[in-house]
Parts: sequence; structure tokens; C-alpha cells
Amino acid sequence: MIILLCFSCNDDFLNRQPTTELGAEAFWQTTDDATTALMGAYADVRSLFEWDLWWDGQGEYQKVLNTTAVARSPGMTDGSFNPSGYGGSFNSLYRYLYGGVHRTNYVIENVEKMLPNHTSPEIIHELETVIGEARLLRGMVYFRLISLWGDVPYIGKIIYDNSEVEHITRMPITQIKDSIYADFTYAYEKLPNKIPALGRAAKPAALAFRGKLQLYWASWNNFGWPELDGFTPNQEEAKNAYIGAADDFKKVIEDFGLTLFRNGEPGEIDELGKAEILPNYFDLFIPPANGNPEVIMCFTHGGQGSGQGESLMRALGGRQLMNGQLQVFPRFEIADRYQSIITGDFMDPLIPMHPTHPEARTAENSALNPQSYADRDYRMKSSILWDYEMIMGIVNFQYDGWTPFIYNTWTAPVTIDGVDYITYTGHGTARSGYVYRKFLRNYPGADRASGDYAWPVMRLADVYLMYAEATNEVYGPQQDAVELVNRVRHRGNLPPLKPEKYATKEGFFDAIEQERIVELLGEGQRSFDLRRWRALERVWGEPYSGGVWCIDSHGAQITRYFNNASERAYEQCYIYRIPPAERDRNPNLTQNRPWM
Amino acid sequence: MKIKLSKFTVQKIFYLKIFLCTFLLHFTIVTPNYSQNSQAVTGKVMDINNEPLIGVTIQEVGTSNGTVTDIDGNYSIRIRSGASDLKFSYIGYEEQQINVGNKSIINIVLTEETSILDEVVVVGFGTQRKVDLTGSIATVQLDEKIASRAVTNLSTALSGQLPGLAISQNTGMAGRDDVSMLIRGMGTVNNANPLIVVDGMPDVDMNRLNVNDVESVTILKDASSAAIYGSRAANGVILITTKSGSNQDKARFEFSSNLTLSTPTDMYAFLPDYPRSLTLHQVTQSTGILRENLNYKDGTIDQWMALGMIDPIRFPNTDWWDIIVRNGVMQNYNLSASGSNDKSNFFVSIGVMDEQGLQINNDYRRYNARFNYDYSVRDNLKIGTRFGGNWSEWDYAGSEGFTQGSYVGTDLRAAIAGITPYDPVTGYYGGEMAYNENTLVYNPLQTYTNVQNSQNRQEVNPSLYIEWLPIKDLRARVDYTINYYNQFRWSANIPVQAYNFQTASLTDRWFIPSTAPIQNYTNTGYKTQLNGLLNYDKRINENHQINATVVFSQEYWHNRSQTASRNDRLHPSLHEIDAALVSVQSTGGNSNEEAMRSFVGRLNYNAYDKYLLGFTARYDGSSRFIGDYQYGFFPSGSLAWRFSEEDFIRGFTENFLDNAKFRITYGGLGNNSGVGRYEQKETLTTMNYIIDDQIVKGFVNQKMINRNLSWESTYVTNIGLDLVFLNNRLSAEIDYYDRLTKGMNRPSEMSIHLTGAYTAPRTNIGNLRNRGVEGNFRWQDKISDFSYNLHLNVAHNRNRLESWNEYLGRGSTFINMPYGFLYSYEDKGIAQTWDDIYTSTPQGALPGDLLRLDLNGDGRIDGNDRKAYPNIDKNRPRTNFGFTANMSWRGIDFSTLFTGAAGRKDYWLVRYNTVNPPTTSFAFSQWHIDNPWSHENKDGIWPRLGGGGNNTAETTFWLDNMSYIRLKNIQIGYTLRNNSILSTLGLSDIRFFLSGENLLTLTNHRGLDPEIQGKDINDAYPLVKSYSMGLQIGI
Repeated sequence: MIILLCFSCNDDFLNRQPTTELGAEAFWQTTDDATTALMGAYADVRSLFEWDLWWDGQGEYQKVLNTTAVARSPGMTDGSFNPSGYGGSFNSLYRYLYGGVHRTNYVIENVEKMLPNHTSPEIIHELETVIGEARLLRGMVYFRLISLWGDVPYIGKIIYDNSEVEHITRMPITQIKDSIYADFTYAYEKLPNKIPALGRAAKPAALAFRGKLQLYWASWNNFGWPELDGFTPNQEEAKNAYIGAADDFKKVIEDFGLTLFRNGEPGEIDELGKAEILPNYFDLFIPPANGNPEVIMCFTHGGQGSGQGESLMRALGGRQLMNGQLQVFPRFEIADRYQSIITGDFMDPLIPMHPTHPEARTAENSALNPQSYADRDYRMKSSILWDYEMIMGIVNFQYDGWTPFIYNTWTAPVTIDGVDYITYTGHGTARSGYVYRKFLRNYPGADRASGDYAWPVMRLADVYLMYAEATNEVYGPQQDAVELVNRVRHRGNLPPLKPEKYATKEGFFDAIEQERIVELLGEGQRSFDLRRWRALERVWGEPYSGGVWCIDSHGAQITRYFNNASERAYEQCYIYRIPPAERDRNPNLTQNRPWM
Repeated sequence: MKIKLSKFTVQKIFYLKIFLCTFLLHFTIVTPNYSQNSQAVTGKVMDINNEPLIGVTIQEVGTSNGTVTDIDGNYSIRIRSGASDLKFSYIGYEEQQINVGNKSIINIVLTEETSILDEVVVVGFGTQRKVDLTGSIATVQLDEKIASRAVTNLSTALSGQLPGLAISQNTGMAGRDDVSMLIRGMGTVNNANPLIVVDGMPDVDMNRLNVNDVESVTILKDASSAAIYGSRAANGVILITTKSGSNQDKARFEFSSNLTLSTPTDMYAFLPDYPRSLTLHQVTQSTGILRENLNYKDGTIDQWMALGMIDPIRFPNTDWWDIIVRNGVMQNYNLSASGSNDKSNFFVSIGVMDEQGLQINNDYRRYNARFNYDYSVRDNLKIGTRFGGNWSEWDYAGSEGFTQGSYVGTDLRAAIAGITPYDPVTGYYGGEMAYNENTLVYNPLQTYTNVQNSQNRQEVNPSLYIEWLPIKDLRARVDYTINYYNQFRWSANIPVQAYNFQTASLTDRWFIPSTAPIQNYTNTGYKTQLNGLLNYDKRINENHQINATVVFSQEYWHNRSQTASRNDRLHPSLHEIDAALVSVQSTGGNSNEEAMRSFVGRLNYNAYDKYLLGFTARYDGSSRFIGDYQYGFFPSGSLAWRFSEEDFIRGFTENFLDNAKFRITYGGLGNNSGVGRYEQKETLTTMNYIIDDQIVKGFVNQKMINRNLSWESTYVTNIGLDLVFLNNRLSAEIDYYDRLTKGMNRPSEMSIHLTGAYTAPRTNIGNLRNRGVEGNFRWQDKISDFSYNLHLNVAHNRNRLESWNEYLGRGSTFINMPYGFLYSYEDKGIAQTWDDIYTSTPQGALPGDLLRLDLNGDGRIDGNDRKAYPNIDKNRPRTNFGFTANMSWRGIDFSTLFTGAAGRKDYWLVRYNTVNPPTTSFAFSQWHIDNPWSHENKDGIWPRLGGGGNNTAETTFWLDNMSYIRLKNIQIGYTLRNNSILSTLGLSDIRFFLSGENLLTLTNHRGLDPEIQGKDINDAYPLVKSYSMGLQIGI
């Protein structure tokens, strides 16, 4: 009994510490801890932006079948990535965007607490850089929140208990915009000119995002946002914001020595039906391009075994690409967007034909005739596969030989020029006539979910086009803007814009939009552009019209969007729904009008 | 429990009695008056083994005239002639009264009695006389009739044996002891399993014990009984005691063996006719698509029909059950020795169980060893040890059997008949062949052959105690126990590429990719327990007894796991890590620990053997909680009144009532199971990032801690009545209980503005009440050599959710309703005509579709039209019962056990009976031909094929009553004892038996098995029906 009592004196007996998790008391001791915490914030915020590919499903040039390839990001797997009816399907994203807010607040506040303890300028600089990066990330998160929901609650500090937020209200968008602006400005002031290592941010990123924030702010003021109660568009505000945006973009373009990938040269291209040599644009979107100066801000990924891969091959590839699932593919409608390298203008529209038609493969402009794709924008071959285009199969971590894409003949034996092939394996629901080549690794080494491509969230080509857009809105077409658009076009080996294309502000806007469509395909820009330009009606037809049928290269009608849709259906795309379950609990949280 | 007095003791008592009786007879009994009308009676008194009984008192009823038997059991007595009765009484034996008539020789066989006073049961830290119990306790002796049943684990053997313990066996898979056990219903939404204690050690896996080693199983159901045992006893305790050799002065060896053959109780009837399946695919698809666009063409079907008869390799019609199922075979061998003398006793045993499952390549072997030993070092000092060890090897493909589990991928639903399983000539496994067939077809033979997992596990469970009686009435005892385990599993699937026998080429589908890794998993750990006990047991005078106990207990757990995996193995037949290249590899490892400490006090007071009072208090601490909330205090009290002992009652009841007791208890117990081991610790979570192509460490804070979180507590009121009638022939125990679980810990609700970053801390909220009645009835009697007993136990439980912290939408969880009640659409049957549809609420139906009722009459069918059935549970039965009948006659014994359940209804909606099968690769069954409605089959009992989701919605149409009665076991045995042939062979006894399990089931359930609960309803592994024969030899 005495022994027993001695045992019981041992007070630590019931205190058991975890063996693989770090106790919170042990943290926030050194400056290294600041960086470690920042890495956690990067990893978390990555999950909110690294799957931007999917957003293009809300545009008219990409079909998204599902999001099962999306890993690490419950905020995205719940979303709806179709051209219509999506505004109520992002409760999860809302939730996890706030997750990103807390992750960054945790770094900002704790590192700010460390600052007064230090006098060494190097250490202070190091800590301020960490705060700057965290504020950049926080700004990006809030920017996305206001782009989709308008007014949202603002949380700018660490929260310790539910009671601090359970009755929170929405803050007007103007105030939040100013906070984001302040975050980006702080980051711009504190970050280095060049990134210290791939995966972190530098000044150009902060500046480019500040420019983009102003461009969006200008767009909302310019084109209006009637669904957002309490927001009054103001042309003066718009003009100032366009100017502010243009100034920021100009600095990004001129002050940091940034260049397009491989100087914006188009590179070499193989003949139709071959893919040994691919243009530079293709290489920009595979991992060897990581760290090139064109990508101003990216979220990095790890390869095989890291658990931090991107799943682009799983989402975009067919079975021959490490068992890809072909969940996302370009729509038929993208093909006509690729212009002629000879005329620099649009070609005659492709004619969808059924393969049973005797002349399907030979008729002029037939979508099934490979010759219809000759002499087009180099970015076409870099981005998509059409009938009889080849792609290198990678099976079981090894090269598996070329496989030709022939729509709707999944896994069929075919002989081309005397060589036997098995066609690209998709599935019955991948119906458009095209699949992606863009983003697909052409070499083995990692499984379908373990690509290590650093996903770009800000690219110099995008900055060029946003600069052109901002200046065009304020001043009309400017020579330096035209020059920048032409640099982007040169990448596709397209000739410079003919003067009539930038004779008017409207014409130049169209030229800029065309470049954004082709250049930024699959990068998650299109649906945000359509909304800020209030262009849904232009693209999908006015309310109560017949809407638009999306078709495939065989001419079959696949899906019709916005058929006889009410104004409400459009409004519910322009602004998203505040999660209703939260409103049940917190009556202070107001709802956006189209969702009441 | 019957106290078996050792022969030594018995003899001592004999002589004492002889002495006493003789003494009394000589001095107190009036010398008999041998009158004219007296007669002499002589005879011999023996026990059932034909051994003479010495010192049996023989008394002429109604007189003081009597005698005792001599050393050979003989007696002689003179009695009044005529209608005299003789009473034969003997301590420990049942009294017999015989009418003499005009017989002069009366030989009597006395049987040992199960005296109600002497019957004791195992309770927490010791045993207690059953008459002194105040709480609700049930117990079962594991006699040879249970031990020789062909069950693979102890929990299955307990099914139907104990009132209030609901057991359902959920799979027949070899090596998988998937049995769900609940005492008195589901007590909490967190872990509601009872605490299992083996020889004083909690948390031992009872299913790894050798059933033959177990002496008795006791369940402690109410708080006051369980209080002494469990810091985690809120959901009841199952106490298992292994055998010892005590009271057995002649050492005994025992050998037993049995051989069991098993078959499935039921199986899904897949159609081994591929053209038929393709036609059904056409029918399904035809509802929504033009004929020319059907996946499967008429040509394919016709060709298959014709060529299937002559070319089974290229046009197979595979009956998968023939290929993947075999007869199960189980062999059991046990050898034990036991014995005792006045200082010590021992029990040693070894056992082997070898089970070959129904599924091919599913095997399980288990080896058990046990050594129990007690030794009295001094008169007041005793030491002892219990040692249990076991070793098992388990081979399987998927951990769930036919369905699911890692790498099994798709399941039997895609196991179409149009696959050639395997061609031994070429060594290829068949994949998809038919034109337009889906590539993701399922070849189960391939999976169950090439997906390879093997797990071996060793457990050692030694314990040591020392017991000391320093002064009279005071007992001190210290126990130390370790439970150590080591488990290793390898998984090394053999790469296989699917083959198309029609094109004679490999397809591009790898059933198992060529890079399939070798994976090794090691888990080791131990648990230790230290108990110290002080007991003071004092009889103050004849009528007052006080028993006080203080217990200190601490438990500690430590677990460690490591995993490793490498791709690119040297050869598919190798399965250790070093047999692969290092190019692609991954590792993992972790450990965790937990500690608990408890202080317990118990006080019992017994007055006049009539009034029983008890009080227990526990103070339990767990490392799962922090700060002031680490400890919980749980008191309980009990009261019992043996009213049969009251004179004013005894006067009326003496003739038929042997014992009657009224019991009432109330008390609380704690449960910490919902909380994770480190959930209440403030920790940061790793969230790594990539910088310059290198992984860099990152931390995020995702925990919010609720500093007030504490034990979930269960308060039980138990009212019981124990009655014993008719000379111990009939006994009844009836209990009513009301169990309220308060402060069930649940994740708290947080704002959506937090949940994206923080996990909500748990909070003590949510109350659940279980109420129920239990009855335990036993009849035992003997008619000359024929003795029999009947035992019925019934338990009925209802629960009600009384508070809940989360917003509850429409669904089967709701306040003031049973947890998991039935909430269903009502159906109106299948629409036969358009008229039926026009007269129903619009619901997009066509003839052949299921129509639902618009219960709220709002003109549409939606979630509001579901009806709640507060009296039907969906997840588990409300009533469980077990009925046992045992009979024996001159060495022949016969026993049978029925179990059953009622009060549960569930939908019969599984993958295999769906009327909306996928448009390719579906394994149809005969049902799909006979049952679906069509214009040709308007009497079809199912909706049409391919009609849409509403036809498989959860409506009353698909609702099955899951009640059943099952003949769980039937057994007949023959025992030879005291036979001269046996003696010459040196054997003492030998028993042969035949036994059958799960032979017959009566139920309305149309699915696989009504007993299976709490798991994926799509699992296709049936329970087994088995026949066994065996032999038991005692030396």
C-alpha cells in the first residue's frame, strides 16, 4: 500500500504528451519559428488557389465533370463548376477561405508580437518580410471572398473562442477593399525585389495583386454590381482605380526586369499529327518551367511521395497518362478561338461532322479533318488535342509510346501511316471532341496525382493584358498596350494586331479579351472576367432567350445553358450565396438579395 | 455458480456429521417406540456416480425418529407401518422424500443440490453470494456444451445466454471477429461497447481467448454493480474468469477436439448466364435511350448464347460462387491439465484452432496457451499467477471479405458472368470481353488470389498477485498485470494484367499495377495495470456483517506503429521490405500513450441476512482530460430486501417460495471514450510546404480547446426482483432499469467563420435515456435419471434522445425520439396503369414505377412526406431473447439454443437487388428476371428496371421486418464414465458429440441475414451454418 501511495504521488502520471505533434508552448521562441509558421500558412492558402483550373468550368471553353482529383482542399471539392447555377454551391469554399484568413492572422499577429523583442535590423527585416508575405496571402484570400460574395465579415486578428465571431456582421466591400489594399501595400514595401526561393513571394507579386484588386474595383464601379446591396458604382472611383491599376502593372512590367518565358518566342512546332517538338507555350505549363521569370506568383508542389502533388494529370489525362481520369476537358467552342498564323485573324468556323459521313475527314473546315487545324496559333497545339493528334503515353511510370486522340474511339486499335496504335482512352461522358495537352507532363516519374508543377496565380502575360485593359478603359488604345498584347500574340506565332483591331476602345477590348481566352485557358480567369465585365448575358444570351447549346466535334448537342433562364438565374451567378446554415445561427449575417 | 466442495472437505463434513448426528440421536431423540405396527426399512444411499454417501440423515416425517447411513451408505430404520414418508437429507445434496408404502428396501440416489445459499457469482474483485447481490448481474458457466460448440470466438458463444447482453454476429469471415455487443441498448453515441475484463484485466480481446479455458462469464449491468470494476464501465462490464484447478484433488487431464464443416447460411443468387444479363442490361437501358444506341447489341448477345455452349473460354458463363467459395473447415484441439491440493491449484492448457474460411484463400489459425496457478505460502499469505498467451495467423484478400477493403476496388456487383476467371494453360486472368463492355469489370478470383495480406499477432497477458491477511478479517491484495501485443502485417499484391480471351491479347487494364508495393505494418504495444485492495470483512454478531473495500487502480497504455512500403519488388512472390528496390519507398511511424488512475471505496452492510445495503464511490482520473476536469466522481448506492426471510411473509410462502429478494440501486459511472488521447492537448499541426523543390516544415494551429470538457456520465436506476420457487426448480429474475447518459461529449458547433481553420472542441452536451426490462427464467427438474433444464431470457430496451447540441433537421435523429428511429416514405405500390399515376400526387412516375404517398397533402413529394415511427428502430432490435433447453439421461445429453430479436425494421436496398443497375457490367441475379414489373409481368413484385431513383428511395416498399428466430445451436452428446473399459485404458470419462450452428432461421427479411447489423449492408460475406463432431477425453 505504501508503494502504491508513492506511485500516486507522481502527479505526471496523468499528463501524457503527444509524440508526433508539437506542443503549442514550445513554439514561437525563435525567428525560425516565424518562417515555419509562415510555411504552414502558405500550405493552407495554396489549397485555396492551386485548383484554379476548375473555375474555367464556369466559362464557355472548358467542361468540368467532377472535382474528385482535387486533393487537400475541401473548399473546392464542394463547388459547382458549370456555366450556370453555381452561386449557391460554395458554402465550403466560403468556410475554407476564412480558414485561410485565420492561418495568416495567426502568423501576422504572432510575428508582430515578436518584433519589439528585437533590435537587430536584419532580424526585424526578416520578421517584417514574413509578415509581408502573410499579409499578401491574407489579401489574396479576402480578394477572392469579395469577388464572389461582395460584403463579407472581416476578421483581422487571432480568434480564441467562438463567442468572438458568433454574432459577426458583414463589412461593406469598400472597407474590405481598403484593408486588402493595405495588406498588399505593406507586402509591397517589405518584400524583396526578387524571390529568395521558389515558393515564396516578392515585390512584383504584391504589386501585381494590388493592380488586379484595383482593376476589379474599377470594373465593379464601371460596369456596376446591382446584386450587391449598398454598393453604388461610381465612374470617378472607376477611373481612379483603372489608373491606379495601370500604374501598378506598369511598375511590375518595367521595374523588375521580368520577361515572358523564353523571351516570349513561339519556339518550334511539329507537323500535324506529330508531337515530338512542341512550342514554348507547352513547356511553360510543365514542371521544368518552375521558377521562370514570367510566373510572378505561384504555389509550389512536391513530386512523388511528398503528398503535396498537383493532380493535373489525374484530372486532365486519359487512361494512358498514368491512369488519368479525364475529368476536365476543353469544350468544342474553344477551337475557333485559335487564329491563323498567316492572317492573324479568326479562321472560318469549324464544321462539326459525324465520322460516319464519308467526307468527315477530308471536307474543308471539317472539325474532323486534321488539315482544318493547320497554320493556327501555336498555343492550340500546346493546349489541346484534336483528332489524330498524338500524345506520349506514360503507364506504370514508364513511356508507353505515342497514342493518337480520335474522339469517341476510346482504346481502339488504329493504323496510321502503317504504324499500329491504340487510341487515347477517355470515356463516354468526355464529350466535346477535344482533350487537354496543356498542363500534362510529357515525361514519367510521378503518378497522376504527384505532379510538382508550381501553379501560377499571377503571370506576366496576364499582367500585360490587364495593363492593356486598364489603360484602354481610361485612355483608349495606347501604343504601349498594343505592343504588350502583340508580345503575348507572338508567343502563338501570330502576327501583330492589324491596326483596325485597335482602332476603337471597344475593338481593342475585344482583342484583349480574345488574348485572355486563348492565353489563359484553364487558368481560372474566364469566369471572374465574365462576371466583372457583366458579360454573362453577352455570352449566354439575354434572360428568357434560348440560351446556348454546347456541342461536340461530331455535331451532337451536348448541353444547353441558360435556356429560358430568368434574370434571377443570372443574378445568382453574379453574386454568391452567404451560407444559409450560418445565417440560421447568426441573424446578424445578412443575405445577398438574389438569394433571399 | 455451484460450489463444488472438494472430496477432502466433503469427507471432513461427513465425519463431522456422523459424529453430530450420532451424538444427537443418542441424547436427544426419544427412543423409538417399536410398537406392533412398525416395519423395518433398509437400503443404500448413493450419489449419481454410484458412490455411497456416508452420514445421510434419514428421518421419518412428522416424527423425531431417524438414523444416518454408515460408511458404505447403508441404513436401516424401523418406522410405523402404513402411510409413512421418509426424508433423506444430506448437506450439499437435494433432499428427497419417499413414501414407504409396504416396501422394505429403499435405495436412493441423491443429487447434488445447487443451494441458493451457496451459489456465488464473480463480481468486482472477488465473489459474492448470489443472495447477497443487490445489483443487476447475470452470469453463465461455460460448461462443455458451450465449449464444444463450433464457434470461433467467445463473444459468439455468449449470444443468447445472458439477459440484457445483445450480441449479433456480423460476418462469417474467417479471422474476423466482427461481433457487436451491447449491454442494455446503446448507452451513448460515443463508444457504447461494454468494458471487457479478463481475470481482472480490462481491455483484453475476449475473442482471442480459448473458449475452453473460460470458467464463467458475468455481466454487470447496473451502475452499482459495475462501479467497483470500471472507470469505463458506464456501458456495462463483461467479466471473464478463466479456469483454475481448485477443489479438484484428483488431477485431471482433458483432451478435446472437434471438426467442423461449414456452408453459408444464405447467398445472393447471381446469374451465371451472361446473355441473359446482357438482355437485362438492354431492358434497363431501353427506358431512356434509342434501341440502336444500347450499349450491348443483339449480335453480341446472340453470339454469346450460341458460342457459350461450345467455347467456355471465349464466351464464358461464369458462376462465381462455384469458384470463390468453398466449404469452410474448422479444426479445434485442446489439451488441459488441472488439479489442486490443500496448498495450491493449477490449470494449464494449450489449444489450436485452424479455420479455413468460406472464401478462397481466407484462412485463420490461432494457438492459445494458459497457465493459472495459486499457492498458499503461509496460512495468511497467498500468491498466484495467471498467464494467457495467443498467436494467430490470418490470410485474406480484402479485410471485409468479398467486398471492400484495400485494393479489392469494385465489388461483386461488377463480377459479371462474362469473364473467364482464369486460364491455367496461359496463366491469364480474364478481363472485359463483350463488345462495349466496361473495362472496370471485376474478376473476384483474380482479386482473392492476387491481393495478398497476411497478419500475425501475438499477445501475452501475464498477471501476478499477492494476497495477505495480516489480521483477522482484513485482507490486502496487490495485482499487477501486463497485456502485451505484437502484430505484423504484410501486404504484397501480385501484379496482374487483364486478358481478353476473345482477342487473345492483354488489355491495357492492370487489375493490380505492376508497381504494386510491398507494404509492412508493425504494431506493438502494451497495457499495464496495478491494483491494490484492502478489504475488511467483519461479522459483528450473528446478525450484522460489514464489508468495506478500498481499491486503488492505475492503468497505462502504450502503442507504437510503423509502416514501410517499397515499390519495384524483386519478384512478385516476395513480401518483405528488403525484397524491393529503394527507388520508390515510404515510411511512417507513431506512438501514443494514455493513463488512468482511480480510487474506489465500497461499503456493504448485511443485517439479519435480510437487509442489504451497499455504497460505492469512485474517483476516476484520465489523461484524456485536463486541469480540474481530469477527475470525475461517481457515487452509487444499493438496497435489497430478502422479504422471503421475513416471518410475516414466510408463513404464507414457505411452501412454494424458497427465496425472494427485492433490489433497488442507483448510481453513476463515467465514460471517456469519445475523446481522443491527445484531443485536449494544445498542439500545432504539421502542414508542410515546398520551397525550392524541397519539403519544408510548416505548422498551423487548428485546435481550440474546451477547458471544461470532462467525463460523460451515466446514471442508472435499477429495480429488480429475484424469486426462487418450488424447491429451487423455478427461478425468475426480473429487472427494470432507467439509464440516463448525461453530457455525452460531442463536437461543439462553431461558426463557419472558424471551422475552415479550427476543429470544434468537444463539449459535454447531449442526453440519451435507455429504459428497459429484462427477465431471466429458469426451470430445472429431474425425473429419475432424466434431468433437464429450460432457460429463457428476454430483454427489451427503448431509448430516447433527450437533448442534443446540434441543429437537427428532418431525419432519424431527433429530440424526444429514439436514437435512429424509422423515418420513411410511405408507398402506394407499383403503378400499374396511367390511371394509377393520374390519381396520385405528381412524382414523375410511369407505369411500373413505385408511387409514394403525399402525406402532408401539399401536392408534391418531398422530405416532408416522410413519416416517423417512434416505435421502430432502424439500426438495432429492441427485443432480444435466448432460449436454452438442456436434457440429459444416463450419459446422453442434448441441448439446444434459440436466439431471436424483434423490433427492428430496415430497408432492403443493396447493390445486388437494385432496380437501377449500371448500364454496363452489373452482376444480375435471378431476382432481376423474376421480380421487376414489366408490361409482360404486371404482377412483378419489384418496380421496373431502369425506372429511376425514386424506385430505390427509402420507402415502406423496401422495408423489411428484421425480426428473426434462429436455431443457434443444437447438440447431442454421449458421455461414458466409470466404465471398466475406460478404466483399463486409464481414462476417466469420454464424451462424443455432434453439434450444429445456425441451422435454421425464421425471418421475413429478404436480404442476406437479419442478424447482421451496424455494417455496410452491401457486404456479401454470409454467416456460416456449420456441422461439427467432436470428442472429449478426461483422464
